[in-house]
Amino acid sequence: MKKQIVFHHIMTLPTILILAFLTLFPIIYTVYYSLTDFYYLSLASSTYIGLDNYIKILNDDIFRLSLRNTLKFMFFAVIIETFLGLVMALIIQNKKKRVAKIYRILFLLPTLLPPVTVALIWQMMLSNSRGVINQLLSYIGLGPYNWLQDVQLAMPSIILIDVWQWSPFAFLLIYAAIQTVPKTQYEAAMIDGASWGAKFIYITIPNISQAIFVVILLRTIDTFRLFDKVNILTKGGPANTTTTITQYIYQNGVNNLKVGYGSAVSILMVLMVLLLSSVYIKRAFGENNG
Amino acid sequence: MKKKIIALFLFATLMLGLTACSEAEAEATKLVIAARGGSHVDAMNAVKEKFEQENNVTIEILGLEGADLKQKISLDSKNATASYDLIMADDPWMPELCEAEIFANLDELGVSGDEDFESASLNLGKYPYATGKLYALPFSGNVQLFFYNKEIFSSEGLDVPTSWEEVLSAAKEISETEGHIGYAVRGQQGNPIVSDFLPVYWAFGGSVFNDDWTAAFNNETGIDALNMYIELYNAGANYEKADIVSSVSEGSAGMSLGWPSWYISGENASAEYAPIPSKAYNSSMESSTGMIGNWMMGVTNNSVNKEIAAKFLTYITSSEIQKEMVNFGGVPTRKSVYLDEELIAKNKHFPIQLEALTNSVARPRTPKWSEVETILGAELSAALAGTKSVEDALAAAEVEINALMQ
Repeated sequence: MKKQIVFHHIMTLPTILILAFLTLFPIIYTVYYSLTDFYYLSLASSTYIGLDNYIKILNDDIFRLSLRNTLKFMFFAVIIETFLGLVMALIIQNKKKRVAKIYRILFLLPTLLPPVTVALIWQMMLSNSRGVINQLLSYIGLGPYNWLQDVQLAMPSIILIDVWQWSPFAFLLIYAAIQTVPKTQYEAAMIDGASWGAKFIYITIPNISQAIFVVILLRTIDTFRLFDKVNILTKGGPANTTTTITQYIYQNGVNNLKVGYGSAVSILMVLMVLLLSSVYIKRAFGENNG
Repeated sequence: MKKKIIALFLFATLMLGLTACSEAEAEATKLVIAARGGSHVDAMNAVKEKFEQENNVTIEILGLEGADLKQKISLDSKNATASYDLIMADDPWMPELCEAEIFANLDELGVSGDEDFESASLNLGKYPYATGKLYALPFSGNVQLFFYNKEIFSSEGLDVPTSWEEVLSAAKEISETEGHIGYAVRGQQGNPIVSDFLPVYWAFGGSVFNDDWTAAFNNETGIDALNMYIELYNAGANYEKADIVSSVSEGSAGMSLGWPSWYISGENASAEYAPIPSKAYNSSMESSTGMIGNWMMGVTNNSVNKEIAAKFLTYITSSEIQKEMVNFGGVPTRKSVYLDEELIAKNKHFPIQLEALTNSVARPRTPKWSEVETILGAELSAALAGTKSVEDALAAAEVEINALMQ
């Protein structure tokens, strides 16, 4: 038995080593760079500066603003997407199989599109001189609105686009969970004369809560990394109202090639995502297991 | 018998190896160019064949988006052997890329910037600016122009403005007519708003930096210029590039600044054009205002094909080839091409573009320009959006830029 275990460990060791190399090595390197003043184009070698980058980041107004914007975006996008996903799933649940299939395909189309394509489509639709949305609003005497360059509208516009693209993803997971709810529970509730609301609260929600948590977890992590839409549509403007952490990393680490500084922001971002994820994971799975 | 078979096998292997080597020797050298995508690539592809045949080389041109191009050439510069033999660079990048020794010295490769190049363009390829060694040649001679809708100007009885005071007055008049906006600003945060604002600021006699590289815009000149810019916005709209071009071309907007390729394609121009007004007010002194935005091309320092790459650079920037490239969307950088009668007949904007190039202004020549532009762009955007007053925005930009430049 012991021999078997040793053999098992020996056989899995190469895979573990490769995985460790591919995941740990970049992380260690990023942590190392974050403690230096590494500027990619510098001819001089980088020097160790301790936590200077981290102190500078935390004192930077733009970083704090980008963090606030990211959290704002995450909060609204995740709530709306999860809610709409749930609503869509409940609507489709009662449709006939063939009709449900058509709806499923239609709903999923935006999720299948690359973020760049989504951003470009919406850029044309939101155009304030020729965009279809302003044209439609003009028929009812509204607008034109400068969706992407107005400080009041830019962030809601980005949220709207994300909701359009990712609500179907939430729908997909929640819909799959709804399909697994035992029909017998509904039948028993019906016999007891339970209303639709009671069935929803006492049967549906408890049965799909795990799926909802997964949706919230995945969308939280993803919305925290918002980049493509902002970079294409607003470049973080107007007046930094849509600057996000990833945009901030891109601006410093990629655009200005300040790798040391960019690495420090990336480490902070990873820590924040881990923190958020761990809360959800613990809540969604840990308690049940415990 | 076995020995004979082994000997035969070894002989055959040796012969195959030698054949492969001789074939490799006869193989053409491959030059790879990292270029800004779009018409530049089309123009180069259209004229490269002759050079390939005469020099037994194959040329691969990679068209990249601006930020992607800068990132890729920067990353490649640290490799022992370059992936790109020739690279294109936006002119404001030149100080940063030259400081990082990404370009090979063209003087040492026997490439000279002759006097036929427009000097404002040629100076961009020297480091230090205008006085130093030559590292890149001007490939595409872009310069900002003033664009206006002819029909609107005719119907309103307006003359082409020569000062920003006149531009504002015309913008207000146009915006009073139904369905029209006067002036379209390109006010997106970052490079767009900086490129759109600086010509206005230069007309007021301002400069971005003092001689000691401290910020020079947080003063009365800067405040007046930014107030003028905001007034222009109030008499118009803040559009992104595609909306600016379509609205001025189709007549829903009266005026804008822009790069020639936005509106002009060969013989056709979708809007009328003129040099950018060079005075703040009619009574002001004239200043140079046309922002130069050339795409430069140079040989990489870590290229293993420096000589042939330098030869191609000479070829692609020659007068003869620039004339050919005009037909495929190329933008000349040589005076002889701009003054060619045959080309002027087909490209009526050439005399005005040459005049604008001659009187153009280069963005400040500092390796930190990208960061300066980021800071200035964010503060100008805040002033335009009204989240900060003009004074506060310029003061904040001054503090940040001075800290950066220290």
